[in-house]
Amino acid sequence: MLKKRIVILDGASGTELQKRGMPAGECPEKWCMDNPEALLAIHREYQSAGADILYSATFGANRIKLSQYGITNVREINTKLVKIARKAVGTHAIIAGDIGPTGRFVEPFGDLAFEDAVDIFKEQIEGLLKGGADILVIETMIDIQEARAALIAARELSNCFVMVTMTYEHNGRTLNGTDPVSALITLQSLGAHAVGCNCSTGPAEMKRLIEAMKPYSKVPLAAKPNAGMPELKGTETVFNMTAIEFADFGREFAEIGVGLMGGCCGTTPEHIRELSRALSGKKSALPGIKAISALSSARRTVFLENGNPLKIVGEQINPTGKKDLQEELRLGKTTLIDIMAKNQQKSGADLLDVNVGAPGVDQKLMMREAVKRLSVAADAPLVLDSSDPEAIEAGLRIYPGRALINSISGEKKKIEELLPLAARYGAMFILLPLTEEGVPEKAEERCSIIRLVYRKAFGKGFRKPDIVVDGLVMAVSADPASCSETLKTVEWAHLTFGCASIIGLSNISFGMPERIWLNAAFLAMAVYRGLTLAIANPELKEIMNIKAAGDLLSERDKDGSSYLAHFAEGTARHNDVKEKLHLTPEERIFSTIVEGSRDEIETALTAALDAKLDPSYLIKGCMIEAITEVGRRYEKREYFLPQLIAAAETMRKGVFYLEPLIKKAKQNLPPKTTIIIATVAGDIHDIGKNIVSLMLKNQGFEILDLGKDVAAERIIEEIKRTKAPIAGLSALMTTTMIEMEKVISLARSEDVACDFMLGGAAVTRTYALSIGGFYAKDGVEAVQLANRLISKKRDAFSDQ
Amino acid sequence: MEPIHTFDPVTCDTPWDRIYRRLGYRKGITNLSSFEKRVIDDAIDSALMRIHLKGTARRLSISSRSSSEITLTSGTILQSEALSRYVNECGEIVLMGATAGSEIIAAIGEETTRNNLSRAVVFDAAASEIVDSALDWIGNFFGGLIRRENKLILRKHFSAGYGDFALKNQHVVFDLLRLDRLGIFINEKAILVPEKTVTAIAGIKELKNKEDLTYSH
Repeated sequence: MLKKRIVILDGASGTELQKRGMPAGECPEKWCMDNPEALLAIHREYQSAGADILYSATFGANRIKLSQYGITNVREINTKLVKIARKAVGTHAIIAGDIGPTGRFVEPFGDLAFEDAVDIFKEQIEGLLKGGADILVIETMIDIQEARAALIAARELSNCFVMVTMTYEHNGRTLNGTDPVSALITLQSLGAHAVGCNCSTGPAEMKRLIEAMKPYSKVPLAAKPNAGMPELKGTETVFNMTAIEFADFGREFAEIGVGLMGGCCGTTPEHIRELSRALSGKKSALPGIKAISALSSARRTVFLENGNPLKIVGEQINPTGKKDLQEELRLGKTTLIDIMAKNQQKSGADLLDVNVGAPGVDQKLMMREAVKRLSVAADAPLVLDSSDPEAIEAGLRIYPGRALINSISGEKKKIEELLPLAARYGAMFILLPLTEEGVPEKAEERCSIIRLVYRKAFGKGFRKPDIVVDGLVMAVSADPASCSETLKTVEWAHLTFGCASIIGLSNISFGMPERIWLNAAFLAMAVYRGLTLAIANPELKEIMNIKAAGDLLSERDKDGSSYLAHFAEGTARHNDVKEKLHLTPEERIFSTIVEGSRDEIETALTAALDAKLDPSYLIKGCMIEAITEVGRRYEKREYFLPQLIAAAETMRKGVFYLEPLIKKAKQNLPPKTTIIIATVAGDIHDIGKNIVSLMLKNQGFEILDLGKDVAAERIIEEIKRTKAPIAGLSALMTTTMIEMEKVISLARSEDVACDFMLGGAAVTRTYALSIGGFYAKDGVEAVQLANRLISKKRDAFSDQ
Repeated sequence: MEPIHTFDPVTCDTPWDRIYRRLGYRKGITNLSSFEKRVIDDAIDSALMRIHLKGTARRLSISSRSSSEITLTSGTILQSEALSRYVNECGEIVLMGATAGSEIIAAIGEETTRNNLSRAVVFDAAASEIVDSALDWIGNFFGGLIRRENKLILRKHFSAGYGDFALKNQHVVFDLLRLDRLGIFINEKAILVPEKTVTAIAGIKELKNKEDLTYSH
């Protein structure tokens, strides 16, 4: 049917059931079982409207959803509801067993164990198939892992046609961040016969999603949009798209190549009738590709096609030579793996190699745990690196994306064990051109092995885009010709065989000194010969610099924008440093504090001291001026909080550097006024207090920070002990703010002469004044207030 | 009563713009060099590595409502005129809670101790905004679940401590959501620990009025 024309799916059933009397809060499946005539009528209406495929009324008929209504006979309900659909239309329409979400997220994105999810869906699918469902539809999925669990359940139970449609938010991603292309790559590789979207959006937005998927689809695309958006009509709210308007969109979907189309929320048999008329005779553009060289994670797809920039496979997640990682893996932990993944990704890794092989490590368990952790922690697709087929299978099964297996060689056992796994889970694989006889020295022999393995893979459904050829890197220290043989293999894969290629970069320099230069040179040579992927350490800037340069020179970075962006920041910093050299010592100190350059303040101060400038002058002259300028910029919002604090920290570091010199010169430092500062009792928030403390220290105040959750009695005790003229109190919550009044009242009752500065999210100027305190909204205001209060006290003292 | 949904992890997008805004950044006014931006983005990335975002939620029906309180079918009474007005046309509510975990709090403390307060405030802002984003995410999750029931979830949330809905009600929310299962505890001042933990109430209403349209997009 799909080869001849666009297939029409049915429309919304929930609203149709409500129109026929289903009360709110009722279990729809149970109501349908109790009121089969209503369901029969709906199915017949959609069929006579032109729907080729009718969805059984089993959207929520899984164990988890049904248990909320106390219903346990899952299989029976599914069987009966499919039979009702069949009774309605006989063989005049295809009956799709409808599978909806469980309402829970599946590990690693949630608490539902993956195998439990598979079992739950298997239970439902058994019922659907027993009822005679012709095909299966997995719909309204917001979790790619749940969609995978349902699809795997379907594939493990039957060979029937399975369609999967996901629901995307208005930002074009699912709630878990999966974009439509990544979902497509994952699901079509896993064996879905059609992939698409349903619900959440109207046709206009859904059209964009289908357009995004179309270039990469190997399978027909399905769309079931809502009938526009809700709108008030009289006293009722209805979806605002008429049947005719919906049908017009249908024509647009036909032009962009949809294969199956129906409607979701708000659509009626009339919408489907008009859609069917609009699409009558229209042929769908069948998928133009049979295979695609792409890897996916839950949130990203990486394409490996010819002409794309070189992809770096981060190699760090490998316990070889890493005692900490080995120990962690033995203990079943994955914290270091998480950190390594994020660091590599931040450094520019496109993919992450995952190897958990070490003595004493349960590879099957830890590959599963590592893949779970990385699926959440990192966006980069994964390369599963193990010689243990069980570990590979464990990783493939739980991975919510399309992975790359590292690797399948020409060894008979490897082919027999790993090719079926790769086929079952739709993975790509690295083809390692060696056999039981060892590593071939010459490129020619490697190419023969590649052809041989490919023939076997072809028989399992693989095509060249599904494979990455390993150039097989051997140490140049052992074989000086190894470099050229690998490069020949890479070039052959690129120009002759027509396949992606990969090298394990650092193998080339094993046993040699200054390895980085060999690795970098080798990489540049390989890029020029068409290399697709390199397993390397992305945290080495030499490697990433060569990648940037190589992409530009081999025309993979066509406008040079990636190259320029890669080097832009370094150029800017270099120019900054050059400019500073022309400043006077005072100007340099000033600009260092204003820019918050903590690492440069001591150098700037040393230069000033070398120029015989007085330390006290440097503090009172340039540094206080600088921090005052920062405060001014902050108040005008030209600076924001991190810049204010960076400047304050730089000042603090500078003052700390100069103070010993001032003491040594026996210069009289002005006496410091003590300010007590604390977060009040019951409150644990202190970030604001800490900022105020830093700002006040920079102004020359001696700060006694009592910490957080400090009782009123202790605050008063410290004020008395230190004779502090000012105390700063902080509170974030309305429930703790009242402690401030307690502190002030206690101070007054004990005749403690102290001014109280009050601050915190819950505090207002009005409240502060009402309890006899002063208000400071932030660190800058606190400094101004403290200076004013001290100045008033001095004036009062001198008046006396 | 519907079961408690637990979300571990909550996989919401990082609210970069909101984090910057919380730190006082104003587009077109605040001057930020690309180097400074890189430093702050690195700090946010570091914060994210230490944030273990978890959430929990529960859908509850309202059995009755007066001008000053609402009663849930569980028997729980929530006293507040503001809350009662908020759920005016709602037949149900979703109680939601989210936490960034304790590692980020420890990290804020460590950075402060090391005199890296500029980094600590970025950590603090990132944690604060991401837990708020987690509540939005949970709201969207329920929005998807109830769409087929012709209902929608209110975008604006209501929390203990707002208006006349006393902060002490946090204890009630804590119990109903079983927040202890996420490693959270509540002190006698109704402060949730670890610090970057938030709760909220969102109303669920049927699609009936024109005003609903602003909530449905």
